[in-house]
Amino acid sequence: MKSSVIITRDLLDEVGLLHILDACQCRSPQGNALKNSAMMYTKQSREALQDELAAIGRLLTLVELDHPQVPEAQIQLARLRELRGTLSRLEKGSLLDDTEFFELKGAFLIFKRLSKMTHLLDAANVSLDDTSSAAALLDPAGTGNPTFHIYSEYSPKLAEIRSRKKELEKEIRQSTGSQRKTLLTQRALIAAEESQEEEMIRQHLGASLAEFLPQIKNCVNSCAILDFRLAKAILAYRWDGCMPTLVEPQSPAVLQNAFHPLIAEMLEKQGLSFTPISIELRKGTTVLSGANMGGKSVALKTTFLALLMTQLGYFPFCESLETPMFDFFAFESSYDGDLHRGLSSFGLEAVQIRNHFRLSQNQTGLILMDEPCRGTKPADATAIVQALSNVYGRSKSTFLIATHYHVKQSPGIRFYQVRGINPDALAELPPYHHGAAKAPDSTGHSAESLSDLFMNLQNEDLSRVRRIQSLMDYRIEETDCQKHAPSGAIKIAELLGVDEELLREMIAVRQED
Amino acid sequence: MNPGAVKEDVELLRLTGLQDLESLAIIGLSKNAGKTTCLNHIIAAWTESWQRRPLALTSVGRDGESEDILNGNPKPRIYVPMGTLIASAEGALLRSDALLEILELSNIRTALGEVVVCRALSDGYVELAGPSVTDELEAVGKLMRKHEPDCLFIIDGALSRRSQAGCGLSEAAILCVSAETSGNPEILAEKASFALNLLQTPSLPESVAAVFSQELLTTTRKCVIMLSGEELNFSVSVLETPTLVGYGRIVANALTPATTYLFLQGALTDQVVNELLRERNFENLTVVVEDGTRLFINPSNLHKLHEHGIHLAVVNPLDVRLVCLNPTRSNGHTLPSGSVLAEMRKCISVPVVDLGPRTM
Repeated sequence: MKSSVIITRDLLDEVGLLHILDACQCRSPQGNALKNSAMMYTKQSREALQDELAAIGRLLTLVELDHPQVPEAQIQLARLRELRGTLSRLEKGSLLDDTEFFELKGAFLIFKRLSKMTHLLDAANVSLDDTSSAAALLDPAGTGNPTFHIYSEYSPKLAEIRSRKKELEKEIRQSTGSQRKTLLTQRALIAAEESQEEEMIRQHLGASLAEFLPQIKNCVNSCAILDFRLAKAILAYRWDGCMPTLVEPQSPAVLQNAFHPLIAEMLEKQGLSFTPISIELRKGTTVLSGANMGGKSVALKTTFLALLMTQLGYFPFCESLETPMFDFFAFESSYDGDLHRGLSSFGLEAVQIRNHFRLSQNQTGLILMDEPCRGTKPADATAIVQALSNVYGRSKSTFLIATHYHVKQSPGIRFYQVRGINPDALAELPPYHHGAAKAPDSTGHSAESLSDLFMNLQNEDLSRVRRIQSLMDYRIEETDCQKHAPSGAIKIAELLGVDEELLREMIAVRQED
Repeated sequence: MNPGAVKEDVELLRLTGLQDLESLAIIGLSKNAGKTTCLNHIIAAWTESWQRRPLALTSVGRDGESEDILNGNPKPRIYVPMGTLIASAEGALLRSDALLEILELSNIRTALGEVVVCRALSDGYVELAGPSVTDELEAVGKLMRKHEPDCLFIIDGALSRRSQAGCGLSEAAILCVSAETSGNPEILAEKASFALNLLQTPSLPESVAAVFSQELLTTTRKCVIMLSGEELNFSVSVLETPTLVGYGRIVANALTPATTYLFLQGALTDQVVNELLRERNFENLTVVVEDGTRLFINPSNLHKLHEHGIHLAVVNPLDVRLVCLNPTRSNGHTLPSGSVLAEMRKCISVPVVDLGPRTM
């Protein structure tokens, strides 16, 4: 069965998978071709995935040890050229030209150097067939020189023709006028003879090399695998990827301190740090709730990225990760603006809900939904979210939903919550100082210019908003049921200088609720 | 041989100081300007004077083919001595009869295939078809130097001087001029002199050139860079335009009275100059281009620029060592070499010679 990923292009961009895979840089065209054609591993190819991950793990150890064979292999792999065309022509018996022989000679040298890197090859679990006999065909004098031309050693006849030509060229150098013209004409005839003989040699050389095609193809294939696995190991090293553990289908996916490198880098530029996500996703439904801007979307993206990368054969960015294999991955977000713009937002969500549900009837999937029914009437939305949670709670698929609608407890439903802002921390903030921003004057116009007012907003209020934001605890924790954590919204309004009259009204309405 | 022709190729070395150069560009003022003939003279001079350093040849576009691809007229072929390095496309190498040892594949693609770096293991004819982009020419130069660090790298320009000499790549240049440019010796001399002056447009003060070079490192798109204020304390602004043609007004609008230098990446053509001259802001500053081969303006426009207080400068100056005359037109008509040379020498300060035909 083919595993599939159901996600819009925009959301995939937001998840950052393609950017991250771009950072996995193969050195050879063969490695890149393998990377670009790589499919997701399926339950049927679980063993292959396990082998792949184990090889990356062993290579990662060499990368961490700064093993000299790692950069040396990268240099050799980077020198490898695209050989598909040449090999295909060789296979068809076409006449190769000198640049193609040169390419092959260069490849044989690379294979020879790589085959000596036993630590690396063992770690990557690849082997290179011996191509020394094929290489010898392109170096008849055994000089070890990487350059190429049709050597005189290939045929005594060629050597004799070239010797005659060389003598003539000496004479040409010393000749002038009509004598030179005559000699040049003679030279042209010898050059034609030489060209004919060279053509015959190319034919024989091609036929002889074709006998080594299986070994050459093995080496090309091994280089591609080595390159791709090494690139994955270096990617894991760069962003602290871990060796994931594949568990039985009924077991939960457990992520410990997962992080999202792209979001982490973005936060770092703002002087902030990424809060790692730890979550256990059992079969059934997991509801993630918490205040707005509490990092629910980031948690979903991080989780999706880690689990999807694992099944694509990469190390996920976590402290540790255990996961079963899924038949399909689906991610739907109501924040996915482009797709929904100008269309009935729920209409499109409904299509996805239908598709995911149908797939989950006979496949086990990982289905993530970020704030579904965001633009739907609260009563309907609550019913839909509850229904989804109930249904997936009974299914074999793993359903993770971030929502602010209330979900009642029911079999197969577990709850996680973003910790949010601790009310005690909010209380410790100094009260708002009313002289900070000037009030508009009686005419309704600001006493200062609009640009000054804008600066006030930037400097005074925005820095205060940032300070409050910095109190947000993005960690998620499991809870017994969906709790409405105190968002501290009214306290935040107070800390930002909302007038007393308005604050009193807010408190009163809240108490009525 | 024409009466004004240089009798000995070795004299060519004295005139150009080739022995002391690391790189040379051969630039043609028109089609059939005589670039290949000039190259053949250089090769002969180099061989006959037993130079130790090898030559390393490439061309901007295609050269050395036996027939003109446009009109089918026979063309001089390039005959190289053993030991010469060649950077040429695969397709062109198939039409070469020197025994060529492949040293490197450059990963640079042309219409005739990938550019291959080879060493001639025998004397023989070669056809050159090199890269057409400056960066690629530079890469080819580096590959050749990897194998022969001491070589004299010669870039043979293709159809006309519009194929650049390779911005900043060549230490010196030879300008080839033929009767194709004009059948009238006075006009021919005037046009050659004007072209030479543009090619030898003076360079910027080093400190200003350094500012542009630094900016160019960080900008890859065709761009316009403006420097305002005092030297050593310039304020730099960059305008990114896909090309210069059609953007004259936008460029001029970005100028302020404080702008002292305006760098234009790409060709400064009459069309661009006309667009700029229509704008009021465009006056009293120095217009900078990469090198003299980027200037394609006529004498009247150069005069107008001067009237607006506009000076021209280049980041990479070209040292034109020699002007070579080919007095023959493609229709077979030949101008009297002696009188044309005399006319040219009146207004051109560098040596002007007629090397005469040269082929193997």
